[in-house]
Amino acid sequence: MNITPTLSQPFVLPRASARSIEDAVETEAERAIRPVKLDIRNLSVFYGKFRAIADINISIPAHQVTAIIGPSGCGKSTLLRAINRMTDLTPGSHAEGEILLDGENILASGIDVVQIRQRVGMVFQRPNPFPKSIYDNVAYGPRLYGIHRRTELDEIVEHSLQRSALWDEVKEKLNQSGMALSGGQQQRLCIARALAVEPAVILMDEPASALDPIATLKIEDLMQHLKEEYTIVIVTHNMQQAARVSDYTAFLMIDDERAGRLVEFGTTNRIFTRPEKKQTEDYVTGRFG
Amino acid sequence: MTLESPHGHIQARRGYARRKASSTVMLILTGLTTTLALIPLFWIIGYVVYQGGKYIDWSFFTQLPRPPGVAGGGVLNAIEGTVLLVILSSIFAIPPGVLAAFYAAYYPNTPLGIAVRFSTDVLSGVPSIIIGLFLYAVVVKVQGHFSALAGGMALAILMLPVIIRTTEEMLKLVPPALREASLALGAPEWKTSLSVVLPAAANGLITGFLLGLARASGETAPLLFTALGNEYFDFAAQVRSGLASGQNPFAILAGILGQPVDSLPLTLWKYAQQPYPERTHQAWAAALVLMALVLSTNIAARLWIVFRQRRMKG
Amino acid sequence: MINKSRTPLSVLGKFRKRMGKSLHHGDRVWQVLTISMGICVLLLILSIGWTLWQGSVDARLKFGLSFLLPTLDASWNPVLDKFQAWPFIYGTLITSAMAILLALPISLGIGIFLAELCPGWLRLPLGWMLELLAAIPSVVFGLWGIFVFLPAVVEPVGSVLGHTLGSLPILGSLFAGSIPVSGASRLAASMILTIMIVPTISAVTRDVFLAIPHSQREAAFALGATEWETISQVLVPYGLSGILGAVILGLGRALGETMAVTMVIGNSIEGTLSLLRPGYTMSSVIANEFAEAVSPLHSQSLIEIGLLLFVITLLLNLLARFLVWRVARRAPQQEVRG
Repeated sequence: MNITPTLSQPFVLPRASARSIEDAVETEAERAIRPVKLDIRNLSVFYGKFRAIADINISIPAHQVTAIIGPSGCGKSTLLRAINRMTDLTPGSHAEGEILLDGENILASGIDVVQIRQRVGMVFQRPNPFPKSIYDNVAYGPRLYGIHRRTELDEIVEHSLQRSALWDEVKEKLNQSGMALSGGQQQRLCIARALAVEPAVILMDEPASALDPIATLKIEDLMQHLKEEYTIVIVTHNMQQAARVSDYTAFLMIDDERAGRLVEFGTTNRIFTRPEKKQTEDYVTGRFG
Repeated sequence: MTLESPHGHIQARRGYARRKASSTVMLILTGLTTTLALIPLFWIIGYVVYQGGKYIDWSFFTQLPRPPGVAGGGVLNAIEGTVLLVILSSIFAIPPGVLAAFYAAYYPNTPLGIAVRFSTDVLSGVPSIIIGLFLYAVVVKVQGHFSALAGGMALAILMLPVIIRTTEEMLKLVPPALREASLALGAPEWKTSLSVVLPAAANGLITGFLLGLARASGETAPLLFTALGNEYFDFAAQVRSGLASGQNPFAILAGILGQPVDSLPLTLWKYAQQPYPERTHQAWAAALVLMALVLSTNIAARLWIVFRQRRMKG
Repeated sequence: MINKSRTPLSVLGKFRKRMGKSLHHGDRVWQVLTISMGICVLLLILSIGWTLWQGSVDARLKFGLSFLLPTLDASWNPVLDKFQAWPFIYGTLITSAMAILLALPISLGIGIFLAELCPGWLRLPLGWMLELLAAIPSVVFGLWGIFVFLPAVVEPVGSVLGHTLGSLPILGSLFAGSIPVSGASRLAASMILTIMIVPTISAVTRDVFLAIPHSQREAAFALGATEWETISQVLVPYGLSGILGAVILGLGRALGETMAVTMVIGNSIEGTLSLLRPGYTMSSVIANEFAEAVSPLHSQSLIEIGLLLFVITLLLNLLARFLVWRVARRAPQQEVRG
């Protein structure tokens, strides 16, 4: 560690005071004993012949928020979508390497995509509620898995909406269309919908990019609560957001062949204050962008 | 089974294998329905080519019909009539259709612009037999006799919505910059429209015209009480006798337009319902000619679009 | 200013002015032409309605509502000048309804296959083939129907239906009696109509599916839905009103279809509801009798049937456009990829 902390560090870290001591002393060895939820090994994703991301190695720890940052087009979203195999939806795509979820390789050929997606939920860039009632939006997943008894569904819907901090705002109007909510509420509805199938991991693809600052703040607060029960991976192009919400940060950049590669991975505090690589430092200090 | 013990309590309830299997079955079914719907297409084309091919010969195109029950003869009258009706309907439909489309394309939000597009939609849904009734009332009844003119007008009304719709779409595709460049040079609206916009949209317009022609040339219902049918119609003979008796060309033309004519679909309809095998055979031959005409026009129109897109891309 | 100085420029200016004037006239002519052609299209619709209304005054006055009311022994008698349209109305309604019933699942399957499943290179050719099917002239369908489809498919299917469903309590009246050897029946008309409207309905259904935002599919897949669950539980409800619009468009075509139906339905008024027996439709009675209608009341009655058909298809088309328009309006959500 021969790079001194940059004095020009532009970001305010709201929770830094509480965490910085712990983070500062965390060594590679200490990090290794954290339970790993997702172990990404040598992952490459191809669209046809084009390699979108190359040889990614990240160990995503359980019950933490991990942010994936990098310039646009570096394969952040591709990496995220590979984790619940949404990349399969793009014709001509395929993945090489391994993604171990609790030790099980979800890229293995015999694995059921549908079961992976139940264990790894996803929240998208833009809120995408179904044109159904709030209740039916949340109950959609449980119904898929065969839960039809009303009392049980009621319980799941209430619980999920409470955990996504939407319950108090919508409990009087569960039969209204989910599309009638505000943008921020829609996004929390989508989070509740993802929570209702009890996933272990939640992927968020720039979940606040379409929202106003207040709604964004709510989503960010929510993540802090959710990480107690879930492992969260978030893609964001907003570095301040990454600094605010995440415990770990992975920084990706495109190489000469326009494939995204992992430059650096570590605790958020270290990535933003004492990056090991010159490229990371340049990026987090806004020197190129 | 409480919510406090998350992570996977939901899984086992409904067999994943069964869900997956029913998904696969349904997806295969959609493929099968597509196949099922296309069977009639190939069945019809195949059978008409087979039957029609057996009975078609040179005289079919060059001779007038013989009396029912007598072998031989052709449907020259119907072929000439079809050509005449298609030309007439194009004359009646294309210029007004293009002009109306110009209005609808450039003033889409004026009351009249909305009304034009609205009535085009409605017109395309009116049953063709109703168009026949209408033309009977306003032309045949007024003139006192069935005529090629009335038939051509009926077909024109059927073509009109197709022409307005495609022309409007094509005009909207012409880059506004092109039009503005011409207007900025001081060229007046009409000249810009005719000499800049229309040629730029020409490829698309041809497609629209061809589709309209294909629709008109296959129609029967609107001709039943307008063109009626005429087994003795012989264009060449009429021109010859007209010239011989010293009539001027316009009078000859007026004479031709004022009398009933036949068309291939009309002939097919009548022959299909007659008990004479010769007529049935000729109905199949007529079906072959008609289908070749309609489908090749249709395919030509679509190929035209494809080539145009290729060229614009490349 | 230029006018005052006698330079060549002023000549040019004058020339321009004159030229501008004539060009301006051209614009006025152009505007009048486009506007009047636009008005013509509108007038055309109005005058069709007006002509049919005027042409059926006496029949409407003489027969009133009894012309339209349901009855099993309707009279259609040019000699006695007594006309009731119910058998034709029933024939049109039952054949069109049956055609929709048969065409809907098939078209839905095709729409789903074309929009969601089939490989990209196959989508265009398949779409073309469906459009070719729609382009085959009605009379050719009729000819093929009489000589090929009726004996080969309709007659056997009809006898099986008669034997199996004919004895059911209520539904049985739709399958009572035996199908003629020729196969000419309401069932034949329904089946031919099905083939003819499938391209219409499936093309619109395909477009409706293609217009649904991709994010809806992603949301369902991310929750672990299978492909069919995504289609049936998310996409179909999302595009429901568009699909309904497609059905109504198809219904409009079925109601107005004339030649093919006239050739296969048998053209007879029997006091039966059965699909297996010959029938008559509104458009086929016009096609068969109008040119030979001698008594004024006869032709007026036929025009009244035409008026009814016109009004029905008009309303259906309006409804269909409205529904399709509503779906198009609801799908402005932009696609954003990270």
